Amino acid sequence: MAARTLDISALTCPMTWVRTKLELERMAAGEELEVRCGAGEALVNVPRSAREAGHSVAVQGTTIRIVRGASR
Amino acid sequence: MSANRRGFLRELASVVASARDAVEPPAAEPPALELSEAELERYSRQLVLPEWGEAAQRAVSEASVLVIGAGALGAPVALYLAGAGVGRIGIVDDDAVELSNLQRQLLHFTPDVGVPKAESAAAKLRFLNPDVVVEPYQVRVEAGNAPALIEGQDLVVDCSDSFATRYAVNAACCAARVRLVEAGVVGMSGLVMSIKPGRSACYRCAFPAAPADAPRCADAGVLGPAAGVIGSLQALEALKLLTGVAPAIADGFLQVDLATTEFLRVHAARRADCPDCGNGR
Repeated sequence: MAARTLDISALTCPMTWVRTKLELERMAAGEELEVRCGAGEALVNVPRSAREAGHSVAVQGTTIRIVRGASR
Repeated sequence: MSANRRGFLRELASVVASARDAVEPPAAEPPALELSEAELERYSRQLVLPEWGEAAQRAVSEASVLVIGAGALGAPVALYLAGAGVGRIGIVDDDAVELSNLQRQLLHFTPDVGVPKAESAAAKLRFLNPDVVVEPYQVRVEAGNAPALIEGQDLVVDCSDSFATRYAVNAACCAARVRLVEAGVVGMSGLVMSIKPGRSACYRCAFPAAPADAPRCADAGVLGPAAGVIGSLQALEALKLLTGVAPAIADGFLQVDLATTEFLRVHAARRADCPDCGNGR
């Protein structure tokens, strides 16, 4: 099954993490989200916020792959 | 729309929804909140909180809250609830704005002197957040009309300055099982209490009778920020009760001394013999 995708490249912080966070909330634990990001502070902030929220994160260029962690 | 009519319409909507659910299988999960771009932007600073998500925002947008009093406490309460996106806010006050109010009642400005407070408040709240339905009620709450005003509300926030009103509101909320955030401020001290009727201590459990010599703001005075602190705490309690993002101050109250800036949690147990929420009710 293809991963969910989210394009936040046109957004500015904190809307970048807000959108990503809301998308992750709708997902089940273990599901993957592929986030297309712009270069810049979002590429630093979104992975950091996602890790702090308990998700697994891998960054490849401007693509952030997030595996949704267990619900709190 | 009168509170009775709104209560009736809510009940009708509930009956229709139940009938529909009886025919269709219930959805596996609630549909996405579908916040507009503007709403995402407007509420972004609470949406970004780890504790606050779509569920919290939905709870707030579907809530109907009655704010009793559009004065020193009602102002921060109504402003913060409108800011957070509470779907419907009723604001109850039968007074007109006076010059002496402006020192602390942040919903009213100099040109509003003489204007009914409920109307003055509603105008500012709608200006702050046009998505919120604001319903002004130019009445004085008392035992006779409290039940009708409270019916159909998800939460009541009592920002009145009268013990008679406080006890009437407490009794009506207990009878209707509607949650209540109670508070008071005078001089440089105040208190805040969240009440879950039937589950936690109510106002009368904690304070069986009004004090005989209670000062009022007109006599004792109050500093604006003192009222702001207490009203802001009430708004916070209201949001906690609506969303569950943090525990409310229940089974007791928060006593605040603003001269020494000391906050004290005081425990109060539910009383089985309480005339408002006791076992006999």
